[in-house]
Amino acid sequence: MQKKAQDKKSRKERKKEKLYLSDRPPLTPLAAVMLAISYLILIFWAFVILWPLLQMTLASLNGSLGNYISLGGTYTLSLKHFKYLFTETHFLLWTKNTLVIAIATALLTLLVVSFTGYAYSRYRFSGRRASLMAIMLIQTIPAFAGITAYYTIHSIISAIIPSFSRQMWLILIYAAGGIAGNTFMLKGYIDGISTELDDAARIDGCSNMQVYRLIVMPIARPMLAIIALWSFIGPFLDFMLPKILLTDPKQYTLATGLFTLISDMRNMNQPAFAAGGLLTAVPIIILFITLQKQLVSGLAQGSVKG
Amino acid sequence: MKITLNNIGKKYEGRENFTIRHINLEIEDKDFCVILGPSGCGKSTLLRMIAGLNSITEGELYFGDRLINKVEPKDRDIAMVFQSYALYPHMTVYDNMAFSLAMRKERKEVIHERVMEAAEILQITDYLYSRPSDISGGQRQRVALGRAMVRKPAVFLMDEPLSNLDAKLREHMRVELVRLHKSLQTTSIYVTHDQTEAMTMATRIVLLDGGKIQQVGKPEDFYNRPANLFVAGFIGSPTMNTFSGKMENGVFVSDNGVIRVSPAPEDAASLAPYEGKAVHLGIRSERFIAGEGEDGKVKAKIDVIEMLGKEKLLYCSLDDGSTCVISQPGYYEYAHDELHNFHLDKEGLHFFDSESTERIN
Amino acid sequence: MKVERYVYDEIGRPYPRKNRYLAELAELDAELETADPKRAKELKAKRSELEKNKSSHPHIVKLKEARKAEREFLAELKRESAAYKKSLSRASVQVVKWRLEYFQAEKKAAFYEPLVDLDYDFELAYKAAETQIHRLPLMLETRAALEAKEGRLKAELEAAKGQDHSSAEAKIKAYKEERQAQADAEIKQIKQLQKQGQISARAYRNEREQKIRAAKEDIRAREMTHPLKTLKSQLENVRHHLRVDPESERRVLNSDLSDLRRRIPVETFQQRAYKSWLALLVPGLGQVLNKQYVKSIFFFLLTFIIYFINLPYAMGKHNYRGEGLAGLINLAAGRSRVDRSIIFMIEGILAVCLLIIAIFLFYFSFRDAHRVEKNKIKGTRPYNWFETKNSISRNGFPYMVSLPALILIIFIVMVPIFSTVLISFTNYDPSHQSKFVWSGITNYREIFLGQGVAGGPFWKILGWTVIWTLGASSLAIFIGFFLSLIAHQERIKGKRIFRTIYLLPWAVPAFITIMMFSVMFSPGGPLAEILESLLGYPFNVKNDTYATRVVLILLQGWLGSAYVFMLSTGVLQGIPGDLYEAAHIDGATAFQQAFKITIPLVLYRTAPLLIGQYTFNFNNFSIIHLFNGGGPFNPSRYGNIAGSTDILISYIYKLTIVKQYQAIGAAITIVISIFLLIITWYGYRNSKAFKEN
Repeated sequence: MQKKAQDKKSRKERKKEKLYLSDRPPLTPLAAVMLAISYLILIFWAFVILWPLLQMTLASLNGSLGNYISLGGTYTLSLKHFKYLFTETHFLLWTKNTLVIAIATALLTLLVVSFTGYAYSRYRFSGRRASLMAIMLIQTIPAFAGITAYYTIHSIISAIIPSFSRQMWLILIYAAGGIAGNTFMLKGYIDGISTELDDAARIDGCSNMQVYRLIVMPIARPMLAIIALWSFIGPFLDFMLPKILLTDPKQYTLATGLFTLISDMRNMNQPAFAAGGLLTAVPIIILFITLQKQLVSGLAQGSVKG
Repeated sequence: MKITLNNIGKKYEGRENFTIRHINLEIEDKDFCVILGPSGCGKSTLLRMIAGLNSITEGELYFGDRLINKVEPKDRDIAMVFQSYALYPHMTVYDNMAFSLAMRKERKEVIHERVMEAAEILQITDYLYSRPSDISGGQRQRVALGRAMVRKPAVFLMDEPLSNLDAKLREHMRVELVRLHKSLQTTSIYVTHDQTEAMTMATRIVLLDGGKIQQVGKPEDFYNRPANLFVAGFIGSPTMNTFSGKMENGVFVSDNGVIRVSPAPEDAASLAPYEGKAVHLGIRSERFIAGEGEDGKVKAKIDVIEMLGKEKLLYCSLDDGSTCVISQPGYYEYAHDELHNFHLDKEGLHFFDSESTERIN
Repeated sequence: MKVERYVYDEIGRPYPRKNRYLAELAELDAELETADPKRAKELKAKRSELEKNKSSHPHIVKLKEARKAEREFLAELKRESAAYKKSLSRASVQVVKWRLEYFQAEKKAAFYEPLVDLDYDFELAYKAAETQIHRLPLMLETRAALEAKEGRLKAELEAAKGQDHSSAEAKIKAYKEERQAQADAEIKQIKQLQKQGQISARAYRNEREQKIRAAKEDIRAREMTHPLKTLKSQLENVRHHLRVDPESERRVLNSDLSDLRRRIPVETFQQRAYKSWLALLVPGLGQVLNKQYVKSIFFFLLTFIIYFINLPYAMGKHNYRGEGLAGLINLAAGRSRVDRSIIFMIEGILAVCLLIIAIFLFYFSFRDAHRVEKNKIKGTRPYNWFETKNSISRNGFPYMVSLPALILIIFIVMVPIFSTVLISFTNYDPSHQSKFVWSGITNYREIFLGQGVAGGPFWKILGWTVIWTLGASSLAIFIGFFLSLIAHQERIKGKRIFRTIYLLPWAVPAFITIMMFSVMFSPGGPLAEILESLLGYPFNVKNDTYATRVVLILLQGWLGSAYVFMLSTGVLQGIPGDLYEAAHIDGATAFQQAFKITIPLVLYRTAPLLIGQYTFNFNNFSIIHLFNGGGPFNPSRYGNIAGSTDILISYIYKLTIVKQYQAIGAAITIVISIFLLIITWYGYRNSKAFKEN
């Protein structure tokens, strides 16, 4: 409060020569020019970012567009592209598929990783170092390294379990692929929780599992939330694996589904794509903006500790 | 509860040697026992073994007459205060204190009553429903104590609980802890590396070094009758002055002959077998008497003076270049580079066998 | 085989032998070590003499007699116990069990006492009985006391149910209202403070919450004073103790007994560990021979799995189509049309995995049995089930909880990677889709020499991949970093707005923005039109190799800068102000401050993540594929498969998925992976975080 008041004063003070209260040195002409340039650059880049996004939003709401997006022409506000999206495409189905895959991936990842992270942080067992190193290295092999085999393995498993769908397979691949990195992230976080807490809990009457459930897990909840969040967002962002594994348009995720609206001449509808993109992006943008700090710290932790 | 350690030893997996071994100790009921030692001496390991957090490799541990070696920590009827306080950050102060009782499915009214009682004694009623992160270090310390008290344990274990507090608060908490111990009358074991804490709080001190017990006893024994050179050097501030030398005709002569002093008559007998052998002489700074005496004369050049108010510490060098610390009443006048005569108080001499470092007199 | 003079326990404490026969052997052996040849011969003769007359050795004779007496005693004890048990049948199961144990312990103590010096086994039996005699009565007593208390409380509760508690209820209600009113008043007071601006809204919320909580806690405690509730909670508490305490006392007793086992060694005539070798192929058998029966059940389960799942599968049974290990070699050569080589190969890899698991289990079981056997010869008693269970729950916990992760990683990550490795050594291509054969390093040669339809453009693509990776990542890092420095200046207003806008490229899913840009650059699209009006003639970016490349790099700069911006802004905000103040006092100008303090510090903190940008772009399939499908095509330079903006990963995608040159695709994958592995390994080997662990 006080500081703000001071700032306010310091601005006025430049005009009327009153007490100079600001901690900063007075603005020299050179600095003023620099400041102006800085603003110019910042505003320019903001424009560069906003313009395409704005185009997308406008296109999705422009009723006079046909199947292509273009500048000029008359602009009629209409929801017809959204209507097209919901009635003529499988957009709702894609959303559902993506949500199912994302939620299942997040849950499976949490289930597996919460234990490994705890075990790697709190127990010194033989093979620990070697397996950490192995995990580290496996992690760097790109996810597509196994694409040829993914098909075949799926057909082998589905021969044994007929109900094993491609989506389930996708979920397993996502979850398994995330184990290594997420274990590291969680391990790093749990390492930061004093082991004296574990000791205290043991004296207070907790068993191994209770220490984990009642003490370590609740304290590690922020990191678990980040892991769940990233595993949840992953399937929304990934294009390659669903593109390779899913063949039926009804099984598509949002990424592959929306791509059909601009890649295929037969059902090309760019404004509808813009509409779908907008609908997909808005919730994720909100998520990112509200949780930006946590998401960044999660990333930083994973890489620094790893 | 009386605690008996019978030949206790601990060897960590994958290590060659025992971290501590052959620990024999009896801690009487209602004792405030301080385990003192430099870092790495195994004192925390010992405490953790008593708590059941580390397994006992050899020997027996009894609580009362019950063998407790393999009993789980929660079944030992103990409570522990940790260096970092180890308060559960996701629980309120109240829940922290209630946790152990809740784990034993204690009745809610009993829990409430005990928590309130402990909170009142420790004066933390005002922030019972805050989280540990919202209160100050000193308050957290109290909460940690409260959490331990709520259990009404048979044994109180404390692992350097004051080391995270600032000096002023530490001084205050020392007194509080002693008062608490007096009112609770629970057997307490307190681990620290700080000799001041040990000397001020303990009814009994155990000094550990290198995995072995160096001396066990009352605080004044440690100061007045250190059992060996290590204890002599560890306890007391400033550190005890020691001079190596040997016995010649019943008189101690330091290596360069600067100090010659005959021991007090009652010590002469025990020193007789050391005739001609290497011996260390120890003397505390306040046992130097100003002025020239008949025996044990020392001529010292003053290098540095530390004025502590009621006394002055004089850091001096002797003729042969060896140094010593002498304390004199604060109103005596001294200046740098002056030469002064002192003599040794015969009642305050400690003799140690140079070879075994054990006390002689 | 040499007989040691002492037997040793787990931590290596020596104990003298009780068995005189073995002790004599040990004496001879000890003397043999230092004896001269002549004396040695004598001693050896003496030793074999002793061994020959083993059965008539006085100690052995005595031991045999004692064993016989023991058998009889135990048989008799069993009968007596049965009779005793009948007399107890009215008590609960646990009490019966303990009484019986006590009954037996007393008899055992009497029987074993005179035998203590004969053998360590007898000493153990005696001391165990003593421990039980000491402990069990106490345990029974605590239990009985708890049961009595439970009964009393039950009766009291029944009685209390019939009574009238209205006065107590009224009191509680009154207290409740009073306390509630008090809390309300307190809250009102703080609210007042907040309104006057003395405390913040946040502090008010906290205070309020605490007051409410305190009131709730007090009320709850007071409610418990209701006679019925008091009794009920007391009963609950007693029941909890009845459930938990005997268990824990039992554990203590078992621990004491196991402690005895650790401190009383064992002597055996066996001098060589051979049983574990005999049982090598049947996990569980070795454990049975070591008399660890419960543990053996677990190992027999493994035997079952190995012999009914792992090995048959490896031999070709229960396969989906393949032939187990054999399929890995023949790759379905000569089989019917439906038998595809790839299936044979992958089932072969699965077979190898299962086989490795089987071998590991064999080894695991053997090691366990062998260790126990060797320890027993040394003098250390094998664990009983209680001890094994404890050791598993202590040391096995991390393994058990990591098991699902391990299985997932083996079968979903490792198996596909191994398949890719193997495929790269075959001729899996469009003309060999169903059946392919091993072809050695042909594929690698083609890649390195740049030959063939698929391997031809490799080097050109690699070149562009490197340019792309460096260009796109560096641009993104530069933009993000530069902007964060500008936006971080003290005098800039509206930081929040700028930061939120700059976050957008990161927050909008990349595939959406890429597709959107792709649409906008298509002929007739907004950006294409703007470009046309600038240049004065229609120009299709997507038809021009260099234009597409430039746009791709710029686009990635747009996309990636947001993330870098976020990171470096985070670090900038964390730099302590006094650093700048110190620099200011030292006379550093703003530029010097930026170059000497800010930039190095931010780079240092974000370095690992920035390196991540490079690997990310190296593998950035989405942008290449979604923007222009790797195009435009330029068959004269890049052949029929790749487009001129394809990077390695999108090329692999085209090779494997679109054009079905799986083998070459796999070979390129392997080359890339090895390259990445080396870089990572080098990076992590030096990272402090890893060394610490």
